[in-house]
Amino acid sequence: MDDHAAIEIDALTVGFGGRAVLGGFSLRLGVGEKATLTGRSGSGKTTVLRCILGFVVPDAGAIRINGEALTARSVWHLRRELAYVAQEPELGDGTVRDVLERPFAYHANADLRDNLARVDEFFGEFLLPRSLLGDDVTTLSAGEKQRVAIVSAVLLDRRIILLDEASSALDKTSEKAIADFFRSRADLTVLSVSHNPEGLSFSGQLVELPGGPNGEEPEGSA
Amino acid sequence: MMAIRTVDIGFPQLALAYALLIIPFGLLLWYRIPMLGRTALAVVRMTVQLLFVGVYLQFVFRANSPWLVAAWLVVMLVVADFSILRGSGLRLGRFLLPVLAGLLVGTIVPLFFFLGVILQQPNLLEAQYAIPIAGMILGNCLRTGIIGLRDFYSGIRTSEKAFLHSLGQGARLHEAVRPFYRNAVVAALAPSVAAIATIGLVALPGMMTGVIIGGANPMTAIKYQIAIMIAILVGITLTITLTIWLTLKPSFTAYGTLDHAIFAKNKPRGTRRARG
Repeated sequence: MDDHAAIEIDALTVGFGGRAVLGGFSLRLGVGEKATLTGRSGSGKTTVLRCILGFVVPDAGAIRINGEALTARSVWHLRRELAYVAQEPELGDGTVRDVLERPFAYHANADLRDNLARVDEFFGEFLLPRSLLGDDVTTLSAGEKQRVAIVSAVLLDRRIILLDEASSALDKTSEKAIADFFRSRADLTVLSVSHNPEGLSFSGQLVELPGGPNGEEPEGSA
Repeated sequence: MMAIRTVDIGFPQLALAYALLIIPFGLLLWYRIPMLGRTALAVVRMTVQLLFVGVYLQFVFRANSPWLVAAWLVVMLVVADFSILRGSGLRLGRFLLPVLAGLLVGTIVPLFFFLGVILQQPNLLEAQYAIPIAGMILGNCLRTGIIGLRDFYSGIRTSEKAFLHSLGQGARLHEAVRPFYRNAVVAALAPSVAAIATIGLVALPGMMTGVIIGGANPMTAIKYQIAIMIAILVGITLTITLTIWLTLKPSFTAYGTLDHAIFAKNKPRGTRRARG
């Protein structure tokens, strides 16, 4: 196994509109490790994930993915290591099948197209009926969208999964199915954000973000 | 064949045309539709602009200098450039050059093809042809540019989570914006395509009526109209594609996220109508 960490965050500092959201946050997550970020609303949990994806550029600090520094140049190929599942995934338009196939049209994923043959396997794993494939994605429930987003991430063979309250809309059975899946995959590194860390029982460590004012984290862009 | 001559409109008769305005102004007043001031201003502007252009064009046509024609085309392009940016709600400073470049190519390519290949004019800057044909192409490019740019950037802003989702799945910027480009082109081209499909049935277009009133055979007018509609279709497709692709770089950060500073603070102005 590589000796570098899957995710290394060093003294991350982020502010929006003069309000400090993160002040010197650090985290090291080894390959295959699972951790959950907790904390009050506005403490910067989602912002950490957005920084890792390059959607928010920090005011200070550094992020390394698999040992490589996240920069404006490297972010484009580092995103191929990452998958992000939002609390309310915006999957675009079309049917569920369209949503699952779409990322394989991107140049970065073209050589992974054979993975689509495993859709049935993962649908079974995450307790999704196969009939869902033909449904319009806008008709799905929040819990179905979350599981479709997770299936998409797994099909894309991503090794670092970022879950943003990704089980918030799930029933206990579906939540357990997801937890069992991630627990069984020692090759996957998972950083999740949750108000209810007990729900994600596969997580090996809890990281509590300090304080933070109540309120929504802004939809800040890079 | 019967000789057709153009009946000139004297200024007293032209003044009578304004009397007809009593109908729209009366309706606006009667129903208290809050557009009276804007409409009156538009009529005044139209009159002043066209009279100015008439005087200038008389001068340009008499001189028939390629330099003067080129200068006039540049003025038209720059005015259209500003109008597109004001209409699409984007900041002027950042986009003046990329939009101008898109308009320039979108206008010049079909214009010079029309003049050089179809009309086989030795002088591509012959005032009699270059100015009116450029005006028709550019007018349509202006409308398309406003609709297209506005739809493209507001679409990304509205569906930013879906856009970021694509980036997060490994899409390059040009791949992530493609659905928005597709939607913008549909929105921008739809009015023109509908106009092309119904031309002659619903409305007689400006160029055709102009050529007929100018004394030409109706069949000549129709051939001109067919050629100009094709030139317009080429121009608007080029313009919408180029203006979107050329404005990508100043609109997104190096990380691929939308820079919200591209949007002007004031609301965009309404789409202007222009016809061939």
